[in-house]
Amino acid sequence: MTVVVNTRDDFTLANFRRVAYGGEPVRIGAQARRVMTAGAGPGPAVGQPRQETASLARRAAPGAGFGGGYLDPAVVRGTLFARLASLVSGHAGVRPSVAERVAALLDGPMPPVPIDGQAGAGEAFPMACVLAGLRRDDLHEGEEEALLGGAPCSAALAAHAAISARNRLAHAESICALSIEAFRAPLGAYDEALDDLWGDPHETAALRGLRRYLHGAGAAERRFHQAPVSYRIIPRVLGQVHRAVAAVEKAATVSLRSVASDVVYAANEAGRPAGRAVRSGGSLNGMVYPALSALSAAWADLALVAERQVTALNTAETSGLPVNLVAPGAPGNGTYAYGWAANGYVEEARAAATPALLPAVVEDPHADVVAPTFSAYRRERRAAECLDGVLAILAIVSSQALFATGRSPLQPLQPVLSFVRSLFPPIDGTGERDLSADGGRLQQALGAAARSGELTVPDADRGPAAVRPGDS
Amino acid sequence: MTVVINSRDDLTLENYRRVAVGGESVAIGQEARETMAEGRADFLRLLESDRTQYIYGVTSSFGPRARLTIPPDQQRAHARAFGFRRGNWARGFGGGYLDERVVRGIIFARLANFVAGNSKARPVVAERVAALLDGPLPRVPLDGEVGAGEVLPMAHVLQGLRRDDLEEGEANPLMNGSPVSAALAADTAVAARHRLDHAEQIFALSVEAFGAPLDSYDGVLDDLWGDEDEASALAALRRYLEGASPDGRASAAVPASYRALGRVLGQSHRAVAGIEEAARVSLRSVTDNPVYVAPDEGHPLGRAFSTGGFHNAMAYPALNALTAAWADLTLLTQRHVTALCTAAVPPAEGQASGPAAGAATGLEPVLGGVVEEARAAAMPTLLPAAVNDAQDDVSSPTFSAYRRQARAAECLDSALAVLAAQASQALLHAGRQPPRPLQNLLVTVRAIFPPVEGSQSDLGARAGDLAAALSRSAVSGSAPFGTSR
Repeated sequence: MTVVVNTRDDFTLANFRRVAYGGEPVRIGAQARRVMTAGAGPGPAVGQPRQETASLARRAAPGAGFGGGYLDPAVVRGTLFARLASLVSGHAGVRPSVAERVAALLDGPMPPVPIDGQAGAGEAFPMACVLAGLRRDDLHEGEEEALLGGAPCSAALAAHAAISARNRLAHAESICALSIEAFRAPLGAYDEALDDLWGDPHETAALRGLRRYLHGAGAAERRFHQAPVSYRIIPRVLGQVHRAVAAVEKAATVSLRSVASDVVYAANEAGRPAGRAVRSGGSLNGMVYPALSALSAAWADLALVAERQVTALNTAETSGLPVNLVAPGAPGNGTYAYGWAANGYVEEARAAATPALLPAVVEDPHADVVAPTFSAYRRERRAAECLDGVLAILAIVSSQALFATGRSPLQPLQPVLSFVRSLFPPIDGTGERDLSADGGRLQQALGAAARSGELTVPDADRGPAAVRPGDS
Repeated sequence: MTVVINSRDDLTLENYRRVAVGGESVAIGQEARETMAEGRADFLRLLESDRTQYIYGVTSSFGPRARLTIPPDQQRAHARAFGFRRGNWARGFGGGYLDERVVRGIIFARLANFVAGNSKARPVVAERVAALLDGPLPRVPLDGEVGAGEVLPMAHVLQGLRRDDLEEGEANPLMNGSPVSAALAADTAVAARHRLDHAEQIFALSVEAFGAPLDSYDGVLDDLWGDEDEASALAALRRYLEGASPDGRASAAVPASYRALGRVLGQSHRAVAGIEEAARVSLRSVTDNPVYVAPDEGHPLGRAFSTGGFHNAMAYPALNALTAAWADLTLLTQRHVTALCTAAVPPAEGQASGPAAGAATGLEPVLGGVVEEARAAAMPTLLPAAVNDAQDDVSSPTFSAYRRQARAAECLDSALAVLAAQASQALLHAGRQPPRPLQNLLVTVRAIFPPVEGSQSDLGARAGDLAAALSRSAVSGSAPFGTSR
């Protein structure tokens, strides 16, 4: 399939996913070509490039940034896709052939884009890497600035984070529900009446998410008294994650279709038959980095609450479950040490939750404010990775609690339990196991599932089987 | 005037402002009294149906001893002992005290638990809470108030409440839930909207003083950027710059701090909207633990069950976001001051361009520390690492987030004061008058911080006066910088 873009409205999260992850090419539609031809018609439509922009373009040679690893090629594809929004709108003053060249880059290998050293005025430095393979020797005046200016990297980073965040949240809800069931926590804390009493749509979404997995659970065999705070507040904490994910999705949705070039050509205005050039600070995307920072903090808080649930499950005096969740008759210390292991992930996640602010450095008197989106993106990645580690441990411990007490969860939780046990079978005290490696595989599988949206259960006979959380 | 409360829908941000900032009293309306009386009667029927059923705090002990049951014949005495014991739980100390207006706001927010009948309490209990607003208010220390839920600060707030006749189920709705988070969010939201307006006025004055081109705030960007918060910021800047002459403005490269103004202010709009939403939702939320839900078809006696409502998870992240937005605005303010001090301001017609130094107030060095303080305050408040006990294993960090926001706001006010003084000075130096929408602002700024002539020793004190005036106006929304200016 091919994604055809005709207007800014074609720059959606769904199309981003198709291009970035699905590997689909992009074609510039006829409507877009007409608009671009008209926009580029007045010659150097945006007039003389500003001195500092032209200077920046000259300095923005590929390879200016280095270190810190490289962007996922899917994100580079997404950046190329996002780049096209301002071009096809006709406001950038570039010819259709230039946009077609950008789109054609998606048909080849993606260039390496270092993650470090990319916080400069605007996004010209990373864009120079992204567009390294673009023929530029015949560009008209203003076209190079249009290619390097604006904020397409922020849009792509936000879109990438948004897609994985929504999936990660769904998986977190399923594992928290598994933990609730394993702990035998009373269900009142997730009652439908709270939807209205709390009155927040995000908390309602979290409550519904938990109830979906706990559907059919009865009061029998649950603890008669209230559960620890970490179990009762989980819908509110997950509600905050819902809010943070929604904010990143909004930032991505808005940014993907924004025309954020530093110089935009405004046509079709009354009294201005020749149009006019408007110079702005569009290249500083002011909404993505705060949204990513808020998401990092939400992951860190969720990681802490998950760790508290791990501790509650592992502590017999609190849970009423077998000591260290050791199966009857089995030797060893069960899942006890995983509680310790969770500490490191939580602390790393909290460190990653330090917000990315506008950088203190001043490059020069004109480029006196720069966007910190790359920093915010890296911190969100790290916080998410740490959350996956804690969620893996919570899933392991919940699975073990059910195993040690000979219980089977409700049908809505069976898929997630199958997924967990396919990678980390219960500790039954038999055979030699590398519990560290098993835990690492589960963490990595959760990371992969965040991208794909599916918890994949390896099946030796039939190959991988995809399970969406909540499937029954 | 008196605010009459009949339902949760009366727990609005506007009514909060009337009670907390305006000092108005609260009366419990007839509708609310009837609802509470009905809820109380329903709850007692549920309780009497089986006094051995588990209802936290009513038929059980509290906190880490939640699994201990209270014999039926001791449950009333248990309710009264709870009230006294919790009252003596006012343990936090140090760090100064909450402003009295915030304590009023907490008492106002406390009523959301009661008025819809979910509290299990008699109407008289809610009326006693409301009556606290008519007397002297207790002092609530800022330090030592972070625990599971908000029992610690509530113990201070309700010190003056009569509790010797409390009945079963009436102590929890007083102490449990999260009215403190609601009030801290509301107090911040009210001031934040005003503070943002101050920032937009002063940044517009800076744009005019620098002579920055106006197209960075052009209406065409509203659609091209496509974000309602950035559109609001751009509209505000255009409103204050309406009538500004496009002639004689800087034609050479303009610092990014002027061009990106609409986008950075847009983020502040988003953060202010976030705290307003958190306040609106939290003020009317029923967050009691246990909560009582009225009878329905499947539950003819209603239900009372434990929840995590006492943990407000939306206020502190919203406060964090606002703090970060203030820190970024503070940095942007410093950049503007630097630009004004180092760039030649376009001279008035017929006048020669003067040296840049003549446009400086001498205040610019103070901003380095202010910016760093604001950035330090922007370190996020996360769920606390400390664990009180196995049952109370997660605490609520709203107090910490509130204090950091207040510190960042204080820093922003200081930076805005310096920028306002600097812009005023630059305009004087250039012999320019701002457009009409900014003229009153300029008059106000110069009344507090007159233009600098020669060497003056009290510049810091006058800048401090200007910052203090901005802070006061942020709380009240009135003169000298508010909309009623």
